Amino acid sequence: MSPSLAIRHMPFREKTAWVMAAILIGGAAFYLYLVTSASRALGQTAPPIIGFVIAYVVLIVIASMALMSALAALSPREANAPADERERIIGDKAGNWSSYVIVLAALGALWHYAMKQDGNMLFHLVFLSLMLGQIAEYVFQIALYRRGV
Amino acid sequence: MAKAPPITNRIRELREQHGGMSQSALAEAIGVTRQTIIAIELGKYSPSLESAFRISRVFATDLERVFGWEGPPKR
Repeated sequence: MSPSLAIRHMPFREKTAWVMAAILIGGAAFYLYLVTSASRALGQTAPPIIGFVIAYVVLIVIASMALMSALAALSPREANAPADERERIIGDKAGNWSSYVIVLAALGALWHYAMKQDGNMLFHLVFLSLMLGQIAEYVFQIALYRRGV
Repeated sequence: MAKAPPITNRIRELREQHGGMSQSALAEAIGVTRQTIIAIELGKYSPSLESAFRISRVFATDLERVFGWEGPPKR
């Protein structure tokens, strides 16, 4: 099956999972890039800039809403239909598994703090843990859609 | 691929016997997405009991004529 045909036949919720995963991976990479370059310039871990974090979250929400609206406009019937039984199971499983990812990543951040006592790094690691958890949820959804429940 | 459940089905065959009913038409009749019908036909998903009954009703037949069990026999 050609890629364009595969995308056309993809369930709406799988398409949204791909879009959200891409936005969040891009966002996490950008955040990581900003923090590492600022830290390099300062010679120590860059402190959290709350205004930047809020603006960043708002931008991600706006980008995801715009792309979701575009997807919904392409297939309005599917977008308005409630999740069916298989999609609900996929959503539940992916949400459950991703919670383990958040817990492990947060524990890693705490471990790092316990070893280095770097509060700025703790902030960035916890923020990235939350993003990682969300990315993992969408990646698990995609895997379950493709491999079977 | 995830381990296939030990439940087999004759949905594709029954669709063909019912005037070549499309996967979309069957999906709409039982209230799931076409992709879920595809997943059931490919053995990637075992439907709920309710959906299984709905499918058998669409084809006006018994549940056991649509679905089969290939797991270990009853002891």
